[in-house]
Amino acid sequence: MEFSELIRTGRAQAELLRGPEAPPLRGTLCVTGHHLLLSPGPQATPDLWLLLLRSVDSIEKRVAGDSGTITLRCKDLRVLQLDIEGVEATLDIARSIEALSSLESVITSYPFYHRPKGLRLGDAWHFHPPERYYKRVARETTAWRLSEVNEDFSLCPSYPRAVIVPRAVGDDALARSARFRQGGRFPVLSYHHAPSGTVLLRSSQPLTGPQKRRCAEDEELLRAVLEGAPPGTRGFIVDTRSAQTAKHARLTGGGTEAKAAYPGWKRLHRPLERGRPLQESFVRLVEACGDLEQSMDRWLSRLEGCRWLAHVKEALSTACLAAQGMEREGACILVHGAEGMDSTLLVTSLAQLILDPLSRTMAGFQELVEREWIQAGHPFQLRCAHSAFSHARPKHEAPTFLLFLDCVWQLGRQFPLSLEFGEGLLLALFEHAYASPFGTFLCNSEKERCLCEVRTRTHSLWSVLNQPKEQRKLRNPLYVLNPLAIWPSVEPQSLRLWQGLFLRWIHPSEPSEVAWEKVWQIVTDKEKTEGSQPMVSASEPQP
Amino acid sequence: MASAPTSKYNSHSLENESIKRTSRDGINRDPAEAVPRLPGETRITDKEVIYICPFNGPIKGRVYITNYRLYLRSLETDSALILDVPLGVISRIEKMGGATSRGENSYGLDITCKDMRNLRFALKQEGHSRRDMFEILTRYAFPLAHSLPIFAFLNEEKFNVDGWTVYNPVEEYRRQGLPNHHWRITFINKCYGLCDTYPALLVVPFRATDEDLKRVATFRSRNRIPVLSWIHPENKTVIVRCSQPLVGMSGKRNKDDEKYLDVIRETNRQISKLTIYDARPSVNAVANKATGGGYESDDAYHNTELLFLDIHNIHVMRESLKKVKDIVYPNVEESHWLSSLESTHWLEHIKLVLTGAIQVADKVSSGKSSVLVHCSDGWDRTAQLTSLAMLMLDSFYRSIEGFEILVQKEWISFGHKFASRIGHGDKNHADADRSPIFLQFIDCVWQMSKQFPTAFEFNERFLITILDHLYSCRFGTFLYNCESAREKQKVTERTVSLWSLINSNKDTFKNPFYTKEINRVLYPVASMRHLELWVNYYIRWNPRIKQQQPNPVEQRYMELLALRDEYIKRLEELQLANSAKLSDPSTSPSSPSQMLPHVQTHF
Repeated sequence: MEFSELIRTGRAQAELLRGPEAPPLRGTLCVTGHHLLLSPGPQATPDLWLLLLRSVDSIEKRVAGDSGTITLRCKDLRVLQLDIEGVEATLDIARSIEALSSLESVITSYPFYHRPKGLRLGDAWHFHPPERYYKRVARETTAWRLSEVNEDFSLCPSYPRAVIVPRAVGDDALARSARFRQGGRFPVLSYHHAPSGTVLLRSSQPLTGPQKRRCAEDEELLRAVLEGAPPGTRGFIVDTRSAQTAKHARLTGGGTEAKAAYPGWKRLHRPLERGRPLQESFVRLVEACGDLEQSMDRWLSRLEGCRWLAHVKEALSTACLAAQGMEREGACILVHGAEGMDSTLLVTSLAQLILDPLSRTMAGFQELVEREWIQAGHPFQLRCAHSAFSHARPKHEAPTFLLFLDCVWQLGRQFPLSLEFGEGLLLALFEHAYASPFGTFLCNSEKERCLCEVRTRTHSLWSVLNQPKEQRKLRNPLYVLNPLAIWPSVEPQSLRLWQGLFLRWIHPSEPSEVAWEKVWQIVTDKEKTEGSQPMVSASEPQP
Repeated sequence: MASAPTSKYNSHSLENESIKRTSRDGINRDPAEAVPRLPGETRITDKEVIYICPFNGPIKGRVYITNYRLYLRSLETDSALILDVPLGVISRIEKMGGATSRGENSYGLDITCKDMRNLRFALKQEGHSRRDMFEILTRYAFPLAHSLPIFAFLNEEKFNVDGWTVYNPVEEYRRQGLPNHHWRITFINKCYGLCDTYPALLVVPFRATDEDLKRVATFRSRNRIPVLSWIHPENKTVIVRCSQPLVGMSGKRNKDDEKYLDVIRETNRQISKLTIYDARPSVNAVANKATGGGYESDDAYHNTELLFLDIHNIHVMRESLKKVKDIVYPNVEESHWLSSLESTHWLEHIKLVLTGAIQVADKVSSGKSSVLVHCSDGWDRTAQLTSLAMLMLDSFYRSIEGFEILVQKEWISFGHKFASRIGHGDKNHADADRSPIFLQFIDCVWQMSKQFPTAFEFNERFLITILDHLYSCRFGTFLYNCESAREKQKVTERTVSLWSLINSNKDTFKNPFYTKEINRVLYPVASMRHLELWVNYYIRWNPRIKQQQPNPVEQRYMELLALRDEYIKRLEELQLANSAKLSDPSTSPSSPSQMLPHVQTHF
């Protein structure tokens, strides 16, 4: 296999330091095609320490005397230090890790080799096909149909093969609308809010350009949306850019819906930061969290200066706006920014969590991530190529998905009983989005996943997460179904730094884990005693 | 929709608030009937006013004033707003607007409260209604200025437990294993002759005679000599508290004091040094020499190590809290929340207090060294440090009764000047003696309980209830500055203890997470990263900040716990029934089917 060319050295003696909590680990270090292994010898526990090379974000080497030190900063924000015997060995290992951790080819990545025990390939991939969500919509309304116009991904390379569109609009019209939208992302249904009969749609910006072009089919599509809703329903277009930016976009062929062309629709601008500024905010925050030497008197203003919590606030309030539009005003909502693959998805997915109790269940949330992020074409491979430690100039990296997870965490903190899953699931999703032995977050779109045969040749993260032994870590023991919308408070006083993620490796989270375990005990004890009643009555004295 | 302010999103939470939309279907019962009244509470007056709610605008209501509280009930059909404010909470009453005032609701009263809020009432200009209300409120909110008794002395509430018996110093010291052959209990201060701000019963080194103590007292500010607060159950190192030595500008020395500290040091043979923590910033300690105070110098006190903890004085803390109020009430600062919060320095002060207490605890527990803690007078910062260190070291104080004992011992009996710091019934709101030292301590406890969710038997409500009654004057617990004054006023005979209320409703104040642990030392992380503003206390009046009500996690926990207990009880009953049958053959004819229905009726 070609990895062997990149591996400069077989093995070396090393000591691994894993932060303040874990004791150092000493043993034989070894680089393989996908992993860094440290084997402390047969007597030690654990007998093997393993790190996926993909999860290394940056690597720093130092040599002194006849030994060296490698500092690995991982995508999950962990910082590891390896003290290695031998200067040559250190440099070789560092070079090997550098080369192997930055391989770009998808089909040689580890998920294509990972074959965990007890799982069958292709098991869980079919949990969430577009048909499944459509079935739910079809039970609620007949105004929508499932179109396979994008079956070969030719209309829109970033959409899945099937999308939900107004029944009254034919595939030809969709094709024309697609040509009028950036990247072919014509308006499609994201969520049907049954109680009000309104819908949430998403798309990319219309290509009006400097000439203010129009597209009759695109207009027809949005008209059909309102006609499919209860009579008199209005529409709101939530543009995630400022009015200014949207206007400027015309110069480069983009733009925004002209008022006159879309009767019944009103445009609102709610600027959300994306791309570079968001990535920089993430980098600054991680830097601030890891800076233990800096005098702490300025921590709060530094935290504020990172602007991360401001992004959380903006994302949540825009999602509230969209959700409020549907639930309180009975209006249809179309969300888009420019490409419609980042902040658009942030808004539509959060709005659903606020409104839809089903999306707050364990299965529903997985379905939401699959449908609104993975299949909706959030370019995970580009956005999560690097995390906060990379020295490389960010190209397409942006922590949009992490921002989403953070917002969900804030919802969970404010409504501790309303989400069926806990922080554990959010942490797992963060880790796996950036580096994973599973195929779920590979590639940028369904089209690419199809080409790489991801669904048949890798295992799905969902199969692992849904194994019974994982549940205690991932589920919220206090969950009770809350049929209402959960309106978060978005005041800065109500938002918190997500310590469980950003300070996870800096400060032991043990006390909160103890508490978590305690809740589980209470809950399961209760169930156990419940479950054992019949047993007791059955164990009657034998004559 | 476009113009909807973000705060509207939380309007749902208003419905959980005190403002509830109710349909009273027009039936008007006598509203006065529904005004709560404590035994001993008497109605003084009632008046129609407009309550200018900072969150929801003016609301017409009727205000009832008793000798204990101000109670307002909305008269508007779409609002069920109720205000229930003990008069003890009021720190200042001002008239707003004059006879020539124009504009709606500009004529009335503005009431500043000690619990982070202000209340504004608009009144009619005619008929002296404002003057009446002002006079009545002033009279009953500030009884001291009118030779009236504080309400605690009129309160005739009865509880089934007596909170005054919670703290018994002899028992508490016995729990700590005292006296022992190094430490003795002395009654030298029985009549408060040695030190009028100390309790009657003190624990001092066995080798120090009462005569020694008297001589030491002359060299310590306000005679507050070093006495034992806590002894480590295993390594027998101790936390000793006192006030500053009276060194003065000339650098006076006192052989007896030096010898006394050496005697304290010698009770611990593991380390050859006694560690002295001076809570103040070193500059302040030096400056105190000018007024006769100072600190233990190296040349006078051999075998001691002096460390300053940089905690600021009462005036700095008061100003800091004032700034916190400015950014949270009535409107919370939005645009630069974190840097505004930083500029109040409140969390920084919390950090310093916690850091100091951690150092004390660590020195005793890991450093195996006895420590002496003082500030200037030894009744503010010293109380914070010793009590927090004891909370970290001794899991007993993390139980409900243990915490009550801790407060009773380190704060109340050792003369934290509650009357001066809080100003119970005193109209002098600008008094320089006011300071939120005890609040700061409770905040530190809250920070610890956040970081160790299973370590404390009590919940947040317990802490907030303590703070509410710190001001309310319903109980005698926090009245007066020291034990001698309390004894003179016969507080334990004439008033009810706050712990009576709490201990007779213990379930309400329990933390369902609590796991009893013995001998675990808690070291909270005192880094700014891990401290947060206690939003549920400081911003509790703002309906927009509130989250699900009431604390849903706790509530659900309680349900689960109750269910579990229920099931376990049933299970035991079943097992008991089973074993009874096993052991008693005479009941053997009963078949399972006979027994089951009988059991099932319970479910």
